[in-house]
Amino acid sequence: MSFPSEDNLRRAIAFVAALGVGVATYITIADSGGGAPACIAGSTGCQTVADSTYSHVAGVNIAVFGIVGYVLLLATAFFASDAARFAGFALALGGFGYSVFLTYLEIFKIEAICQWCVASAVLMTILLLLNATRLIGYAGTNEAALAGGR
Amino acid sequence: MPADAERRAKLLRAAAGAAFLALAVVVVLIVVNAASNGNSGDTELEEVAAANAVFAGIPQRETVLGDPSAPVKLFEFGDLQCPVCKAFSEEVVPPIIEKQVKNGEASLTFRNFVIIGPESVDAGTAMLAAGEQGRGWNFLEIFYRNQGKERSGYVTDEFLEAVAKAAGVKDLAAWNKARNSNRLREEVAKSTGEAEAIGFTGTPSFAVEGPGTEGLESLGPVPSRETLEAAISSAS
Repeated sequence: MSFPSEDNLRRAIAFVAALGVGVATYITIADSGGGAPACIAGSTGCQTVADSTYSHVAGVNIAVFGIVGYVLLLATAFFASDAARFAGFALALGGFGYSVFLTYLEIFKIEAICQWCVASAVLMTILLLLNATRLIGYAGTNEAALAGGR
Repeated sequence: MPADAERRAKLLRAAAGAAFLALAVVVVLIVVNAASNGNSGDTELEEVAAANAVFAGIPQRETVLGDPSAPVKLFEFGDLQCPVCKAFSEEVVPPIIEKQVKNGEASLTFRNFVIIGPESVDAGTAMLAAGEQGRGWNFLEIFYRNQGKERSGYVTDEFLEAVAKAAGVKDLAAWNKARNSNRLREEVAKSTGEAEAIGFTGTPSFAVEGPGTEGLESLGPVPSRETLEAAISSAS
């Protein structure tokens, strides 16, 4: 089975994680002003989700945790080591699992869908696929051999 | 087994374990969350999203809805247990919010006017406490949409907490502390006294104040939507 080169996977991870940082930062800034992210087509889903008690954990907007997660994922793309490969996979897995739970809350508890949350869930799913491919394809690879790019 | 291959096998085993663990955690979280509504006796509320949507994008501070510096100030004196207030909140008030509060023409202030009983005081203080976190009108609307029969005992701590959560009150500990405070109970008594001083005898009663009025003008109990709209227009 042939895998994309690790350099390409790392570039893709960095790109998607950077998009994630942007989405999570936008949600955080919109919420910090007492409002909510703007939904496309006049939907009030984002306001409903932002207003729900599920949007904060211990008084902190969950998008802040999103920023931290995406920044750490971005950081793993800068290192070609087993530690970075595994950390990237574990972080994306945690983020994906949490996104699944949040999507469940949106559909069954809050009964509203926020497009920005869906965007973040999609980005996290892509990051999980990229990081899983990176780990399966390159775990245990000689790190020195990668120094010149692969 | 070469060292790299061994390291790779270890990493992949750890990854598989992490994936299994993540799956288990998500399943447990969902099951626990789903069960928390079914088994712990939490109150199931109706029309939460629709009620919250009425106030989306409109500023709120304490019990004032809309721009606090709006030229016209409309006051509603209501009792949360009152079925006529419920009907008003669903049929008469939303179009006024949409047409005359959203555009900054008027602000709408809720005042407790207790006419039914002690449970109205409990509900009223809970609304004021939600107002301190900018969620008073959401609380009021969700309460009305889930209102029970007068004095039937449905205004329990559990019901009020469910309404507060649904309304988006984020600091429930602060909300609980505030709603049980003498300060807010006194505020409910004070606004009830104000309503009686104006001469109101039923709920919901309305009053309006603006550049076109001489101080606070009573609109009496249960005015029509047309009366309220015209009163706002002539007060501005």
